[in-house]
Amino acid sequence: MRPLTPQRILGTCLGLCGVLFVVAVISLRMGAYPISVRDIVSTLFNAAAGRREEVPVEFWQVVFGLRLPRIALGILVGASLSTAGAGFQALLRNPLADPYVLGVSSGAALGAIVSLIVAPHTVGAIQIAAFIGAASTIAAVYFLGRRGGQLDSPTLLLAGIVAASFLSAIIMFLLTMVTGSELRSIAFWLMGDLTAPPPTTNVLGWLGFLFFVFIVAAGAMYTTSSDLNLILTGEQEAKHLGVNVNRVKFVVYIAASVLTGLAVSVSGAIGYVGLLVPHVMRMLFGTDYRMLIPTAAIGGAIAIVLADTLARTVVAPTELPVGAMTALAGAPVFIYLMRRRMR
Amino acid sequence: MEADTLRERECGEVPRSIREAFLFGAFTRAARQIVFVILILAFCLANYAGAAPAQAPTYKRGMKFVTDETGRRMAIPFSVQHVVTLAPDLTETVYALGLADKLVGDTSFCDTPPAAKLKPHVGSPQTPNLEAIVAMHPDLVLATTSINRAETADALLRLGIPVYTSAPHTVRGMLDSIARMADLMGANEQGTALVAQLQSRLDAVHARIAELPLVHVLFVVWEDPLITIGQNTFIADALRWAGAESVFVANQNWPQVSMEEVVRLQPDYILFTANHSESTKDHELNRLRTQPAWKALRAIQMGRVVRVDDEITKPSPGLVGAIEQIAHELHPEMFSSDARGENFEHRTGMRMDVLADTRQKRECDFCGL
Amino acid sequence: MSSGAGSGAVALPQPRRLGASTSQLRLKVEQASYAYAATDRSAPTFTLGPASFEAQQRELLAILGPNASGKSTMLKLLAGLLKPLSGRIEVDGAEVSELDLKVRAQKIALVAQESELLFPLRVWEYVLQGRYPYGRRLRFESDEDCLLAGNALAQVGADALRDRWMDQLSGGEKQRVILARALAQQPSLLLLDEPTQHLDIGGKVELLRRLRRLADENRYTVIVVTHELNLAAEFSDRIVLLHKGKCPRIGTPAEVYERELLEEVFEAPLEVEIGYSGRPRVILRATR
Repeated sequence: MRPLTPQRILGTCLGLCGVLFVVAVISLRMGAYPISVRDIVSTLFNAAAGRREEVPVEFWQVVFGLRLPRIALGILVGASLSTAGAGFQALLRNPLADPYVLGVSSGAALGAIVSLIVAPHTVGAIQIAAFIGAASTIAAVYFLGRRGGQLDSPTLLLAGIVAASFLSAIIMFLLTMVTGSELRSIAFWLMGDLTAPPPTTNVLGWLGFLFFVFIVAAGAMYTTSSDLNLILTGEQEAKHLGVNVNRVKFVVYIAASVLTGLAVSVSGAIGYVGLLVPHVMRMLFGTDYRMLIPTAAIGGAIAIVLADTLARTVVAPTELPVGAMTALAGAPVFIYLMRRRMR
Repeated sequence: MEADTLRERECGEVPRSIREAFLFGAFTRAARQIVFVILILAFCLANYAGAAPAQAPTYKRGMKFVTDETGRRMAIPFSVQHVVTLAPDLTETVYALGLADKLVGDTSFCDTPPAAKLKPHVGSPQTPNLEAIVAMHPDLVLATTSINRAETADALLRLGIPVYTSAPHTVRGMLDSIARMADLMGANEQGTALVAQLQSRLDAVHARIAELPLVHVLFVVWEDPLITIGQNTFIADALRWAGAESVFVANQNWPQVSMEEVVRLQPDYILFTANHSESTKDHELNRLRTQPAWKALRAIQMGRVVRVDDEITKPSPGLVGAIEQIAHELHPEMFSSDARGENFEHRTGMRMDVLADTRQKRECDFCGL
Repeated sequence: MSSGAGSGAVALPQPRRLGASTSQLRLKVEQASYAYAATDRSAPTFTLGPASFEAQQRELLAILGPNASGKSTMLKLLAGLLKPLSGRIEVDGAEVSELDLKVRAQKIALVAQESELLFPLRVWEYVLQGRYPYGRRLRFESDEDCLLAGNALAQVGADALRDRWMDQLSGGEKQRVILARALAQQPSLLLLDEPTQHLDIGGKVELLRRLRRLADENRYTVIVVTHELNLAAEFSDRIVLLHKGKCPRIGTPAEVYERELLEEVFEAPLEVEIGYSGRPRVILRATR
């Protein structure tokens, strides 16, 4: 009997972070612009030392303008989606739950489309509008998903599905009213796009803000991880053991939805990651949520960075959307996992 | 009692050590209380810090400030040596201006003129590879709202690469765009000459058909679902120059319409784009004669179908040729005089036969320039 | 030791059990009642109580009654899930429905119908979850927790099952593990809701024997809600008989098992006789 210790969790996370680091470095190296590892390293060093003038303009453009923001965004989005997926799987007591099942991505898509119709050329409007759409959907589904004043998993699931369908219908209607160029933008956004420029020119500040929101939401969910372990063996049993089930459900719902809204607003709806990464991490490290939440976060980051790297190098110079890559890789993994469960 | 002590601890007493606080939740509880304040502060800070633009790296050559057709403002060097185009019509324009040697990269869709296929590609107009563009060290990138995404232009501008986006809505607007782009690339004379020539061709067509009533046509963008053009597109404007008008009046750019409505409106002519397909006009006509709703159209029955060159969809110099083609096909009587016809044919190498496949014209359209 | 209020029943003197003289009072129910109504203002459709009884350490109390007699409601009242409309229910001197969730879980362990497990879990992980009430919300189990969980497994005789997967256990093994988790809570009161439902006769006897042993040797107070007449008679110290929300009799099996009373409560032709162990036994009279 070896109970879970913080040391073990930290050790595993450090190991996974190492994998993430390697993947990020590989991703930093790959791209259409010819730049050697040596040049990348020297660019990074000069940047750290504050000597921007010594770096050729184009190196700076490529490393800090194109590749690093993309990798950073990929890490953020992957971590958010996987953590949210793990949370929803516990909240809804359904291994097939993914972050989009409660309609958050449809709300974000609606926000994005509305922003394209109303303010097509404002940079970053699409992201802010998408987040507003996501937040509204979160609130609406919360109020619909209650029974007797408390969140009830089956009712929540139904409310989410209804919201998603309704929003999709509105989206379809709006799409017919949208002209050519906006249609293209929204199509790419829906497929998952890590290259959208941020609302502010201060990319570092923007990324910092996003990571801050991620830490807060994921941290809030982590504080309920012990409770989630118990809730997964049965809600009544958890109540009898002293878990405040309603409070836990509320926290997990808000945290997971905020994470999903964050990811979708920033990069569209990238599929499969939120569903599969938690399962893979369960297979590797067990179902204890105190271990699962951090490992799923890092695992999701690794998955997205890998997928994005493949997406931009496999058919160079054309770029595939990240969502296409995760779907291509995700479907076989999903089938494999399903077969394992059948056995 | 032990339980009571534990319970007391639960109620938010000061933790004994940071480790205890971090691991056991008091930290997150406190963080929750001040999280909104910090969020707001961080957001304000990020925005404030971003107020100073961290943009354009310094170029050694002289630069001028330019506002493009979407309202974006950027610095373009006086002397432009390397140009990258992100749309087929822009590539055509660059070739038409005689600036082919300044073109260092175009998209994989650029096939007109054929020499454009041999240039290095940056990807598709929708998803060009930004790094590939950077690798070509462009002084100027040309984009257009008719096929490129705004995000691409924004991203390139963020990197400090000037992107001139044209937004053509009318034929005259397109000519102005060409003139402006020529000016930016330092080819003022070629630009003026080209624009003048295109304008005179348009005037010639206009002169012949100005008095005639507009022919009602259905311009088919896509067959199934049936999509036609709205009145704000430049295709609609081009059609007006050619003496035609779409039977549908819509504010949307690409409205989807029902066949029943078409049958009710009974356009005089049906216009298809060649769409890079190999089938001839006869083949298409026979195929349509067998389709249920199409055969109810008088235009189909009378064989009044025009297979328009793809150039009609692109705001490029070749558009004028397409306008001429349509004008000829819709108002053959105005162009039937032998002398005039010969002149015209000599100039552009077009054949007057209404049933002809118009694709062969493409190569020679530039001969006359 | 008290006997319950009944309709015209004579309170017989209670024979004292050996060695139970200085037992601590674990559970005290004083005139507790509850009522269900369709809406707030309509008349109650079902009323339970008022009922009064007590349970000591080392005692196995059976709450006995046919279906729809209020057993589940009584159980929920005892577990603190429902607040009694009148009266008090105290465990270790504290009113249960007012206790903080975790403190309540430290005092009362409820073993009810288990839900299906979504994800694979090992037995020892499952039992360790019983230690949740002791500590902060996000906690990591200490050595003491592991020790106590191990003890709990030993108490139910499931030591060998430690490293097995939960979904590979048989019904009886699972029962034992669930019981072990409840014991890991170190409760003052162990409540079981119809634990013998899905077991065969061998399983039923084994479970009750184990509960008996837990009460006698490990000093738990066990309360079993059941409708099994003979098992209750055989293994319990006292029985609380429920009938349509009322408590017609509370006492030892010998006191409670009166033919007319049982026939009225269970609405079946019954015969009461004294079995081999000296405890009453109920058999079905001829049905034809």
